[in-house]
Amino acid sequence: MHSVPPSLEKRYAMIGAVLIAPTVLVFCAVILYPLISAIYLSLFSIYTPTLAGEWVGVDNYGALLASGDFWNAVLNTLIWTVGTLTLQLVCGVAVALLLNQSIVFQSLARSLILFPYFLSTVVAVLVWRWLFNDLYGILNHVLLIAGLIDAPVNWLGQMPNAMISVILVGAWKYFPFVVIAVLARLQSIPEQLYEAATIDGAGPFQRFTDITLPQLRDVLVVVVLLRAIWDFKEFDLIYLMTGGGPVKATQTLSLLVYEEAFRLNRMGMASTYAVAMMLVLLGFTLLYLRQTNRLEEG
Amino acid sequence: MHAARAKVIWSVIAWTIVLAVVFPLIWMIVTSVKPQSELFSIPPTLAPETITFEHYVRLLTETPFLQYFRNSMILAVTTTLVVVTLGTLGAYSLVRFKYRGRETLATLVLFTYLMPSVVLIIPLYLMMVKLGLANTLTSLVIAYTTFALPYALWLLRSFMSGIPEDLESAALVDGAGRMGAFFDVILPQALPGVVSTALFTFILCWNEYLFALVLVNSDSVRPLTAGTMNMLITAFNIDWSLLMAASVMMSLPLIVIFTFLQGTLTKGFGAGAVKG
Amino acid sequence: MLAESISVAQGDSIAHDRLPMTDWPSIEGRSITRRDALKHLAAAGLATAASACGGTDANGTGGVTLRWWSTQAAPAQLAAYRAQIALFEAAHPGVEVVFEAMSDEGYSTQLAAAFASGEVPHLITHMPSFAVQGYYAHGLIEPFDDVIEAIGASDFYLGANDVYRAADGRYVGTAIGNTAADMLWIRRDLMERAEIQAIPETWDELRAACRAMQGGGIYGAPLPYGLNSANSLTFIGFVHRAGGSVFTPDLEIALDQQATYDALEFYRSMLELCPPGASGYSWGEMLTSFVSGATATGLYAGRVLANVAAQNPQIADSITCAHYPRMSRDIPAWTYNDFPCVCIPSAASNKAEAKLFAASLFDPAGYIPQLHAAPGHVLPVLETVAEDPAYRDNPIIDKYPEEIDLMASAAAQGYNLGFETKAHQPNPKAGEVIASNAIAEMVQRVVLNDEDAQVAVGNTAMRLEEIMRS
Repeated sequence: MHSVPPSLEKRYAMIGAVLIAPTVLVFCAVILYPLISAIYLSLFSIYTPTLAGEWVGVDNYGALLASGDFWNAVLNTLIWTVGTLTLQLVCGVAVALLLNQSIVFQSLARSLILFPYFLSTVVAVLVWRWLFNDLYGILNHVLLIAGLIDAPVNWLGQMPNAMISVILVGAWKYFPFVVIAVLARLQSIPEQLYEAATIDGAGPFQRFTDITLPQLRDVLVVVVLLRAIWDFKEFDLIYLMTGGGPVKATQTLSLLVYEEAFRLNRMGMASTYAVAMMLVLLGFTLLYLRQTNRLEEG
Repeated sequence: MHAARAKVIWSVIAWTIVLAVVFPLIWMIVTSVKPQSELFSIPPTLAPETITFEHYVRLLTETPFLQYFRNSMILAVTTTLVVVTLGTLGAYSLVRFKYRGRETLATLVLFTYLMPSVVLIIPLYLMMVKLGLANTLTSLVIAYTTFALPYALWLLRSFMSGIPEDLESAALVDGAGRMGAFFDVILPQALPGVVSTALFTFILCWNEYLFALVLVNSDSVRPLTAGTMNMLITAFNIDWSLLMAASVMMSLPLIVIFTFLQGTLTKGFGAGAVKG
Repeated sequence: MLAESISVAQGDSIAHDRLPMTDWPSIEGRSITRRDALKHLAAAGLATAASACGGTDANGTGGVTLRWWSTQAAPAQLAAYRAQIALFEAAHPGVEVVFEAMSDEGYSTQLAAAFASGEVPHLITHMPSFAVQGYYAHGLIEPFDDVIEAIGASDFYLGANDVYRAADGRYVGTAIGNTAADMLWIRRDLMERAEIQAIPETWDELRAACRAMQGGGIYGAPLPYGLNSANSLTFIGFVHRAGGSVFTPDLEIALDQQATYDALEFYRSMLELCPPGASGYSWGEMLTSFVSGATATGLYAGRVLANVAAQNPQIADSITCAHYPRMSRDIPAWTYNDFPCVCIPSAASNKAEAKLFAASLFDPAGYIPQLHAAPGHVLPVLETVAEDPAYRDNPIIDKYPEEIDLMASAAAQGYNLGFETKAHQPNPKAGEVIASNAIAEMVQRVVLNDEDAQVAVGNTAMRLEEIMRS
């Protein structure tokens, strides 16, 4: 901005603070207490329904690091997150570009594509399990008729099918989130930029890399960050599809947290897993932001 | 001509993909109009032999479905309005104003997302009980606002930082105050981001399950997800026909609303406002 | 209104000398009529209400509001509940009952929040018995002896309430219905076609029958091999049918025994007779596979009857059920019954009214319609109701009388991990054991991954040890 007198500058700063205050208030009031209490509980051994328990200090953390389940879950979580995030991004950007073109019933297409995202996860998984079923599921039926397979595929009960199925359904469910954000950004790229580039002789691919991608950069930074965090934490989808099986091959960290918290009724241990997850996510977030900020400045 | 042919090609490709993505919805619709005796035919059939609307009738007359629907609508609309308001103001603050701790603040709100909700749910519920808000839609509005706001802030921030400062300066020179400039210049430019935030928040409220399950217990305030799941899904039995009918009814209105919203996102909005 | 009710109680000379309220008659004592016990509860409830200045609920409107939580709230059942509530409210003006559905998969989360905050309902129904025992062991559930009295202790099937007796000798709840969850379902038409004369009673006979009936797109059985509770619960049944148990009567781990290995062998041998996706199967697939006609046998509760009638009526005349086969004829039959509960949280207010309402749920006028909402699946716990012609007056129950009777008696004599045999102590950690999927994992390792059985069983035993200790 062009320079402003100091008094006005100060006044502007106050307006700025006032504008962000409600957000900060909401955040502090609502999330701070649960966040801190979750970290605090990890130092205890707690029976979930009564929240009563005893101090164990860092014993929970010791048990966590020593357990094979934890490291297995870390590996599974990474495989799941990277797999589904990549698919979500690639499909999301591709479909957003597609829906940005002039097509018939454009608005309808754009809202239909959101369907996987706003369908409740419980229902989505039930329907997919039905579609995947070996006896009365349409997927196997169609593949059999088409001659692509000669026996029904066991989509969820064996590896590597289970992890692949989960990654695919995860991508299907969440790629519309990428579409929403990218499509919105594509809407605001001024048409003149493309016209000018075409006049200068740039082909479609060059227009994409020189104009579209840089414009999308900001949005994609946010989208990758948030989707990575949410995919890492995803619980319902994996739990309802495979329960973590076969034999823990799809058991991710969030499944372990839920199992400890409400099935084994060990809230203390659950909090320990949650803190471990938080540290991983925190590390990733800070690293990621530093990288993207550096790129921005550079 | 050339443009018309391109439109046809793009339409075919786009709609093929859309239909493939939406196939489960088609399956759900087809299943919901099948009588129960056709549910699990082997081999599976796509087209029903007889079409019946009995499941929809049952759903609407024998269950509290409409009540759940109303609750979800109130919840989603209220939360969306709150999030869009706070989010746009907050993002504007982060982008155009200078004050200490600005970056840290933006990063700090992301902390909301670092913990799995499973460990947050009980302390949050205890807080709501203390505030006297247990078992009310307000508690859900507060919870969902907290989860939607950081995303809103970051997305809108990225949109607003793309808006050239000259536009605002022009308005200020013309005598508008900071907030005037905000409403007349910034907001219209950031509209796609605002709509996208609204969509995201609405969807979050519409299909969130864990918090709806725990924070609210009475049917009079229960939203759709928890309501239909509790009613139709048990370990020993799933009422497939009613569940498919309910899911279709949960989806179709959203498709209508979103189609309408998408229509307002016209391409080239704000193009030509900046010269050179 | 209040005065009339009190005078009714006092007018009856039998009730007159039963007060004060703490002097409950014992179950083994002189025979107490149900009416007397109900009057006890009524007197207690009204005295409480009177002393609380007309009773105030959360709204402070002067009436009492009871909250009833249940995991089974399908539309048909909801209608039956509403009828029962209406009957009760008519008989007890000033008391209002509100029904709130719980998630069957997520009730542990909802109850954890409720218990932790003190915002507990007045009545919880349809949870498995071992869940109630687990909560009781932490002081969260109110003893139920007086309600059982009020219902009529002698009306229950013999020994039906043993599963709800806690280590301290008191009853922690009772079953609102019985479910014979792992009956053998079989297709008579397929048996005929394969020339099988009798319903299999031993594992060898079952394998032979399934092998004979398999073919032409039809599989032998839909057993669950997924990583879920269906797997664990089904397998526990097979351990018992091999003559063993998971815990000793004193709740030591008994897993490392011959019966477990026999059961694992049997389970492995059945895998080839199940559909290809069985390694991911849970309750839903087990039910639908048989109902849709894709398998010749099934393992399920009475829900099969209603579902076949609605979804696949062609086979309705050919299905029947029996005790699930055991390893050899001299091993007694064992049936899994989760004994869906009625219980009252200890932190609830207005407990007297809640107990009155709990007892009223078993009044035939309202109880029978409730059972009819899930015919064959939720079976009566009161022998008197099972023989009541009004109960038999239902298309499904009328069509399959032998099956219903068999399931009712099997379920009444049923067990679950929280109470494995009559000699066993109640196991308050059974819920956590099931929820940990430790047994399901063991099954998967040995049957699907072909891992060494000794090692897998040993590791699982250690895991159970850890859960019992924690």
